[in-house]
Amino acid sequence: MAVTGSNPAAQSAGPGNVPNSQGAQVSLSRERPGNSRAILGFSRWFPFYVMLAPGLIFFVIFHYVPIWEAQIAFEQVRIIPPNIWVGLKNFQMLFGSVVFWQVMANTIIISAMKMAFVFPVPIVVALLLNELRSARFRQSIQSVLYLPHFLGWVVISAIFIAQLSPSDGAVNDVLKLVGLKPISFMTEPNWIRWILVISENWRSAGWDSLLYMAAIIGIDQTLYEAAEIDGANRWQKIWHVTLPGIVPTIATLFILNCGMFLNADLDQVINMQNDAVISQIDIIDTYVYRIGLTAGQFSLATAAGLFKAVLGMGLILAAHVISKRLTGKGVW
Amino acid sequence: MAAARTPLERTESVLIGSALILMVIITLQPMLNLFAVSLSDPAQIVGMDGLTIIPRGLSTQVWQLLLTHPAVLTGIGNSAIITIGGTILNVLCTALMAWALARKSLPGRRLIFILVLITIVFAPGIIPDYFLNKRLGLLNTNWSVIFYHLVDAWYLIILVRFFEEIPEELLEAAELDGANAFQTFWHVALPLARPALATITLFYFVFHWNEFFRAMIYLTDQSKWPLQVVLRQFVVEGDKLAIVGVTNSNNYTGASQISVRALNSGMVLLTIVPILAIYPLILRFFTRGAMAGAVKG
Repeated sequence: MAVTGSNPAAQSAGPGNVPNSQGAQVSLSRERPGNSRAILGFSRWFPFYVMLAPGLIFFVIFHYVPIWEAQIAFEQVRIIPPNIWVGLKNFQMLFGSVVFWQVMANTIIISAMKMAFVFPVPIVVALLLNELRSARFRQSIQSVLYLPHFLGWVVISAIFIAQLSPSDGAVNDVLKLVGLKPISFMTEPNWIRWILVISENWRSAGWDSLLYMAAIIGIDQTLYEAAEIDGANRWQKIWHVTLPGIVPTIATLFILNCGMFLNADLDQVINMQNDAVISQIDIIDTYVYRIGLTAGQFSLATAAGLFKAVLGMGLILAAHVISKRLTGKGVW
Repeated sequence: MAAARTPLERTESVLIGSALILMVIITLQPMLNLFAVSLSDPAQIVGMDGLTIIPRGLSTQVWQLLLTHPAVLTGIGNSAIITIGGTILNVLCTALMAWALARKSLPGRRLIFILVLITIVFAPGIIPDYFLNKRLGLLNTNWSVIFYHLVDAWYLIILVRFFEEIPEELLEAAELDGANAFQTFWHVALPLARPALATITLFYFVFHWNEFFRAMIYLTDQSKWPLQVVLRQFVVEGDKLAIVGVTNSNNYTGASQISVRALNSGMVLLTIVPILAIYPLILRFFTRGAMAGAVKG
């Protein structure tokens, strides 16, 4: 699911650690014993602040200025500035709108479906891969299964549109072969959410299994030997040794995914949307885009975006705290 | 290691292997089918099914057309600029920032970490981002899709951790040799971090090449479109005029006979080519790195 780029398994030494103040500081004071401490600190650290500058300026401008810009959620935008402060009026309008709640419901339904039908798949893939005896065979399979993760959603959507086509797509060719009627999957409201689930699996089931494979490799081999001596068969070894061995990874990723619950992958949804199915897969992100950037209701769209951001923050902070308590590792 | 295997175990192994091979087929077949369609003789494409992976007849017309088409070439050019320029800036800024933050006694380090972590937790959405770009005059410039993701917070944290592992003595030795902070960064830190940097470079590259949503909203001028946006317009939005319309003019003799389906297929594959080109590197660096990390931890 949404584990792209993030590395939940890796642990930050970051802000929790108290910086140790010896080391370089000491070696410098040897060189220039006469200088006052403040000047010393400045000349010591100045080059590092120069290194920090581009990144830091980026974070401030592109992450903090937008937070300030988000005040238009509390304003009425006028063609001739300044805008008028209207307090929570935009939010009242948002919460009073039927479409908004439909969009919320879609987001939650799609995320829940992915939780149930996407999240477990890489675990199964990893368990299957681990059963292969030939390392070379396993690596060849892995190197194919990882590939779709690196394709953009425009490409994946184009592939799905082609392969689900009722006239000449592979899936419907198979349906016709077994005597069933072709289905127009991409424009069928009952199917489209499942298409999101299936395409997400197509894209990431292989790649996401990597984290579980890494956890499996870390399992103590003597446990398997002990199980074999006890006469355990393949499935008993999977159930009693492998699975328990990767439970911490499963738990961490599950909690992380809960934290990302409202992020129902904008790029995916926007490329799978069409007029026939939009009522089924219009999510918060596509709603914000549509009413904001295409319909020009900037204040209402920003209000929706802020509402999602606040809910999302609550979820991810909760995920962080729960994860830290359960596994000793936070989300970052 | 291998205890005597019962027939049951052997059957199980065959089933497991078959399940995985089926997954491999499901992964590859769609791309092979598109490839076959794009190379087929235009006259024989109608009625070609979605299962086949062998071209019917052989024609490179589609590829010739795509690779000489102005809209496609502009798209390739724009994507290349954004991807290469963006990746270089990403890696440089991320590495510099990570190197500074890896100094544990840097005053303000903790505050900066908190500043970065807040951005992971809270993002007010696309509309404020859009207005920021508008205010800065970045709309319809390549900077708009490069700047908004100059430093990835996750990659930054990973790289900081990597740099923190470099022993303090190495840096002191470099300092004693008279190296300044930048020389130490360039000659000590970067070479030591090569595997981590390679991974991050590849991921930024993929990110930029696949960039779509921001490009769609920030780059409204058609001449600025990267390939992904051209592809979306043509295949997903079904805007055939984006490519076929031009081809029907007398620039391309006989182009009107080219099947739209074949063009679609070629266009999708063309967009995948750079990813396929760097994929072996991804396999080499990332999977090995992830495995090594797991064994160590």
